[in-house]
Amino acid sequence: MPSPVSKLLWIAACLLFSGNVSAQQPLRWGADPSGGAPYVYNDPNHPDQYIGYEKEMVDALAAAMGRKPEFAPSDWETLVSALQRKSFDVIVNGLEPTSDRQKQIQFSKPYYIFQLALTVRNGEQQIHSLADCKNRVVGTLGNTAASRLLQKENIPMRAYAEPLTAYRDLELKRIDAVIMDVPAEVFYVSKSTTLKRACEPFFRGTYNVGLRKGDDALKTEVDAAIDKIINDGSLEKILRKWGLWNDAQLELQKPAKAGEKNVDVGYDITSAAFNWREAIWRLTRAAFVTVLIAFGSMVIALVLGMPLAIGQWKGPRPVQWLCTIYVEFFRGTPVLVQLLFLYFGLPTIGLAMPAWLTALIGLGLNYAAYESQVYRAALEAIPRGQWEASYLLGMGPVLAFRRIILPQAFRIALPPMTNDFVSLFKDTSTAYAISVWELATAYRELANASGQFLLLGVAVSLYYLAMSLPMAHLARRLERKLQRREAIEAVEAEIN
Amino acid sequence: MIRATDLIKNANGARILRGVSFEVAPQTVLGIIGASGSGKTTLLRCLNGLERIDGGAIEFDSIRLEANLSAAEYSRRVKGLRKKVGTVFQHLYLFPHLTVLANIIEAPTHVLRVPKQQAESEAVALLDSVGLKEKARRYPETLSGGEQQRVAIARALAMHPALLMFDEPTSALDPKRSAGLRSLLRSTVSRGHTMVIVSHSIGFLEGLADQLLYMEGGEVVESGAAHQILNSPRDPRTKDFIEQAK
Repeated sequence: MPSPVSKLLWIAACLLFSGNVSAQQPLRWGADPSGGAPYVYNDPNHPDQYIGYEKEMVDALAAAMGRKPEFAPSDWETLVSALQRKSFDVIVNGLEPTSDRQKQIQFSKPYYIFQLALTVRNGEQQIHSLADCKNRVVGTLGNTAASRLLQKENIPMRAYAEPLTAYRDLELKRIDAVIMDVPAEVFYVSKSTTLKRACEPFFRGTYNVGLRKGDDALKTEVDAAIDKIINDGSLEKILRKWGLWNDAQLELQKPAKAGEKNVDVGYDITSAAFNWREAIWRLTRAAFVTVLIAFGSMVIALVLGMPLAIGQWKGPRPVQWLCTIYVEFFRGTPVLVQLLFLYFGLPTIGLAMPAWLTALIGLGLNYAAYESQVYRAALEAIPRGQWEASYLLGMGPVLAFRRIILPQAFRIALPPMTNDFVSLFKDTSTAYAISVWELATAYRELANASGQFLLLGVAVSLYYLAMSLPMAHLARRLERKLQRREAIEAVEAEIN
Repeated sequence: MIRATDLIKNANGARILRGVSFEVAPQTVLGIIGASGSGKTTLLRCLNGLERIDGGAIEFDSIRLEANLSAAEYSRRVKGLRKKVGTVFQHLYLFPHLTVLANIIEAPTHVLRVPKQQAESEAVALLDSVGLKEKARRYPETLSGGEQQRVAIARALAMHPALLMFDEPTSALDPKRSAGLRSLLRSTVSRGHTMVIVSHSIGFLEGLADQLLYMEGGEVVESGAAHQILNSPRDPRTKDFIEQAK
């Protein structure tokens, strides 16, 4: 089928399999620009352009290699797998050559020696080192040297996607400290009036360029370019401009040797030693959080749904409007956006909740809108004659509702309610957007750290199924039980 | 004694009742006959307060419903009226989520606040009198149409109404069951109840109703003693209806 599409595919295939990169080819580099300051990020003054010290460094590297840099914005957590999928050819994003990553990709020689900075609130008295954080919650970026260090030291951790949100949560007292690479810490905290360093920077690690295994020619090229910009002083110039230069960088001036693995044993290389036992344990913890959020939010939804349903059904006109606005708002906007709003938006009016509680309340408010519609449909399905029969027996509206209408409506509402509960279970995964350690977050992080997307995916799915299948089974059983009654109601409706 | 005077009821811009008047003496049975659309069901719904009247008056002993009462006062009086009036609907409207026994004791225990044990023994006696004692623990859906109707009658009687009203009681019954219902109602009347029965079945009312009232187009065409209406109706319209029904 000779079509423009197949022609394009052919060109793409040629590009993919054209073997060794030639001097004319661009240097395609991947990094996460969102919250990526000062590495690479959107220029606040020109939002369609990227700036950052690593952006400038890549420009210098590419110039040394005689290539044109081509930036591929990507996502930090999935950089390694994106590189393997050939979304780009090198990672330049303050990437540490941890041993778990070295199983998947190879690294250039180091271009920067970084340290970690521990940040606390100004009023903090107790935390003076990482050792003081044993029973505190420390925030950091997920899947970094710092996060691996926290795991190794057994310090409770909250993983973030961006430094800014980590520091904000620290200010809001959602966490007790933040540990971050010094470059990011310098950028975000140096001007802060509310945060301070808990101690001098510690730990030593390196940033290296990440490459696919087998791209050895490109590695040689990159190593040579790094040597060149270190020795001609252009890297120092960039680092000084960004306030990141220190004398430790002088150690990097020795030239790269061909075939060298570039794991400099002189540096602390932490790595998350992936073992299945620990992974399953962490998944189980995540499953508990999932259950907690699901049940907690369902209780809110079930309780709040009733006044909403009655308000919309029988309330005075303004109450009907308010209930309708509530229902349409929560049904008409994505629950993900609602969670982000609750987590990041509400603190600006002084209402800061922990992430798990935000997820619990957010999902509860969201599902209340759905439950109210289930209730309303069920209440409206009760024949008017049931009300009239109650009235004629001398009951008032409240008694009739409580004793006669509600129990019947409940039977009708039960199957859809159970179905909603099952989908609520799955919707708890949206809580990953606000860094709640539930199953989806656990999957993403454990899989990114280990590369075990397949096996962990199966394990996580099994957890979800183990929780949702009994629920679905219960729903079906209830439905069967009610089927007979429904048949009779249908006959009754026909007579009417 | 119940008396209706010049009852008027409008609905959706149409006049459903056009000045209906009648009286029912204590411990007698009034049969209301007429074609469908004649207004007989609406009349029943006005008598038990499900519909508010737009003109005229309803008097039951000391309670008087009038069109010009305030909404609050009207519903207060309707509440008093309902203590004396029991209704059995055409579609019965038993409570499907409750057993037969629970259907009967629901209102006595929660409205009259009769102790549960006493209400239950009364309910069992009532079920016995309608021949359903052994079905007390069953759910309504498991009973036949005729049995369900007798449960509805027992449910209404459990509130000790002076007046019992029926809307088309024979619509779902075969001739044999109709005869059974008639003898049940006759024995109920002999225990001191007054009845208003809306029906299009003249055969059912024959020998049961003391008085008959023939309605057409929201008006009373003719009323009087049952034997007189059935045997020598004065109005040709009544005569037509009875002849066709027979």
